[in-house]
Amino acid sequence: MRFVFTSAVKDLRRIRRDPVMLLTWLGIPTLIALLLVVIFGRGDARPNGKLLIVDEDQGIGATLLAGAFSQGALSNMISIEKVDREEGRRRINKGNASALLVIPKNFTTALLEGKPAKLQLIRNPAQRILPDIIEQVLSMLTDSAFYLQMVAGPQLREAAQGTPTDAGIAQISVQFNHAIADLRKYLAPPVIQLETKVIEGKTDKPGGFAALMLPGMLYMAVFFIAGGLATDVWRERTSGALRRVVTTPASFGAFLGGKLLAVLLVLALVGAFGLAVAHFLADLRVSNFPLAVLWIAISGTGLYLFMMLLQSLASTERVANMLSNFVLLPLTMLGGSFFPFDLMPKGFAQIGRLTPNGWSVTELQKILDGAAVSPVAFAAVILFVAAAWLVVGWRVRRTAC
Amino acid sequence: MIEVEQLRKQYGDITAVKDVTFTAQPGEIFGLLGPNGAGKTTTIGCISSLLTPTAGHIRVMGHDVVRDGVAARRSIGVVPQEIALYDDLSARENLGYWGGAQGLRGALLRDRITEVLELTGLLDRAKEPIKRFSGGMKRRLNFACGIVHQPKVLLLDEPTVGVDPQSRVRLLELVRDQAHAGACVLYTTHYMEEAQTLCDRLAIIDHGSIIAQGTLAELRSLLAERDLLRLTGVFRPDAVREALSHLEGVEIIQSDETQLALSVSDASHRLPSLFAAINTAGEVRGTTLTQPSLESLFIKLTGKELRE
Ligand SMILES: Nc1ncnc2c1ncn2[C@@H]1O[C@H](COP(=O)(O)OP(=O)(O)OP(=O)(O)O)[C@@H](O)[C@H]1O
Ligand SMILES: [Mg+2]
Repeated sequence: MRFVFTSAVKDLRRIRRDPVMLLTWLGIPTLIALLLVVIFGRGDARPNGKLLIVDEDQGIGATLLAGAFSQGALSNMISIEKVDREEGRRRINKGNASALLVIPKNFTTALLEGKPAKLQLIRNPAQRILPDIIEQVLSMLTDSAFYLQMVAGPQLREAAQGTPTDAGIAQISVQFNHAIADLRKYLAPPVIQLETKVIEGKTDKPGGFAALMLPGMLYMAVFFIAGGLATDVWRERTSGALRRVVTTPASFGAFLGGKLLAVLLVLALVGAFGLAVAHFLADLRVSNFPLAVLWIAISGTGLYLFMMLLQSLASTERVANMLSNFVLLPLTMLGGSFFPFDLMPKGFAQIGRLTPNGWSVTELQKILDGAAVSPVAFAAVILFVAAAWLVVGWRVRRTAC
Repeated sequence: MIEVEQLRKQYGDITAVKDVTFTAQPGEIFGLLGPNGAGKTTTIGCISSLLTPTAGHIRVMGHDVVRDGVAARRSIGVVPQEIALYDDLSARENLGYWGGAQGLRGALLRDRITEVLELTGLLDRAKEPIKRFSGGMKRRLNFACGIVHQPKVLLLDEPTVGVDPQSRVRLLELVRDQAHAGACVLYTTHYMEEAQTLCDRLAIIDHGSIIAQGTLAELRSLLAERDLLRLTGVFRPDAVREALSHLEGVEIIQSDETQLALSVSDASHRLPSLFAAINTAGEVRGTTLTQPSLESLFIKLTGKELRE
């Protein structure tokens, strides 16, 4: 219907006339993201990663390897537990740890004598960032272990004789870390191989901490914009524009349809922009750009209607705003926008994934990771949009008069 | 044409409009005159299908507004009491939007927009956001948005409130032009003079009921060519009643300790005998004599003034 487009153009024009509003909506989550990254960098946030180590070597090499994880910022993120092979297997399969590292027999000997050895790392596919960090640290260690042997060989051999003291190990660990920093420049084919496995053969993804945060942040922006646009109807109500619409032959459904179209386009733009920035600046992997943008736009429109539904319960604009803020903040926090699900306590993450925005983020993550289109998810959102359109249209038309 | 039959609108216990019946013809300006809260906006709301009547029937150009709402709304143009516009859009964009809502499009819409902008004197400010407009300019645009699609039935809800005298004259001319072009205009106001000078026929409404309706001449005749004499001072109501009961052609409209309103035929010639009679029942300090008008009719019908 023609009036849908007329209405959409009207709303887009109004949004364009108020760019400050749009920038604010985009700015708030960006600011929070920056803030979180700064805080996280200082080590105040403590994600609970667990690295299980099966130590079949029982030598100084294994101790040093484990020691590398208990230093500095890493020790805040990852705790280590030594287990036997069977228990380790069992626990990683149940998803009770970030990763399982198997240090083979004679690893120390190989390390000291520069012989080939193979470390095995089994990642928990349900988590992203912590296994990433563990793997990166390990590959750094194995890259440089060969050179370490040349640089620190004497101390190492000395330490390998007899039982080393705690202080001795700490000292060596520090040297170990310095050596790593120095030796990163001289990369060579590794003598010690790191073999990584993800159970059930899940693909890995690039990108670090920022890439992990960004989808959630993007949805915070989307949710804020959706909530802000939803309150806009109150302005139309107060001015009497809604009542005027009712007195024209145009249908109220078309009027609301125009709004949905405008919201869809704005969110598509925000999504495309956000994903592009995340991709180029933070190395976020975007497997299917158009599909991801479409998902953000459609699910965001669903969030818009969700906020409209909520606000239609209110009797005044003030109450609607309060209600909206009351719901927006906890939902964004719980929905993986402040803290990615991977870093959340398990119970919270489970609840968070069930929130409308949390669910949308999870689905977006799947699309970003290259999963095929989920017709069920799309159908669910479209069904919700259609149903909410009817209910909101009815409610808003009624309260307009 | 608007036909309203036994219209009733109830909000819980409040009856905003009760048993209102009137017919407004094409080419005619029909006035709905009444004080605040009389039920004018409610009546217009029911005609424009913003509100659902509790009882009664309304037909616009022959279409029942409840059963055949879309068809009825096609011939209606509304100028609401509030300024129902988009503040961040320009005058042209506002007109484009509301014209589009009425089904206009393309070149026809563009031409009409320019036409009404010219009529309302807003052409040179057509492109800026209307939040920079003065209140009066917004009123004029509010009006323009109601007539952009050349409606056969025009509903105007106090369109001149807050407009300066010059703009008001201009606006009233525009309303007349609409009627001359054949539109059926329903005009609500609480300005006596406006109703008197503008409307061909009118209904006086108070507390939701029509208390009188007809042409201006017909309504005046209800006063039986009597003048309205208002006196202030100190009175004893019972004694006043007694003193005046001997005089022919004098009717007490309102009487209390400080005020007295009388409907008197040929008052100017009878003032001496009137004062003589009243002075026996109190003391007169001030006098106003009014020729028959809507105001005196309103006071006669309701016992109170239209404007407080
Ligand atoms: N939504 C509502 N709920 C309850 N009462 C209402 C509602 N709308 C109007 N009323 C009541 O109905 C009566 C008529 O109101 P209406 O707005 O029609 O008056 P009006 O003649 O337009 O007055 P004004 O000159 O002030 O615009 C008033 O007593 C008002 O309080
Ligand atoms: Mg009113």
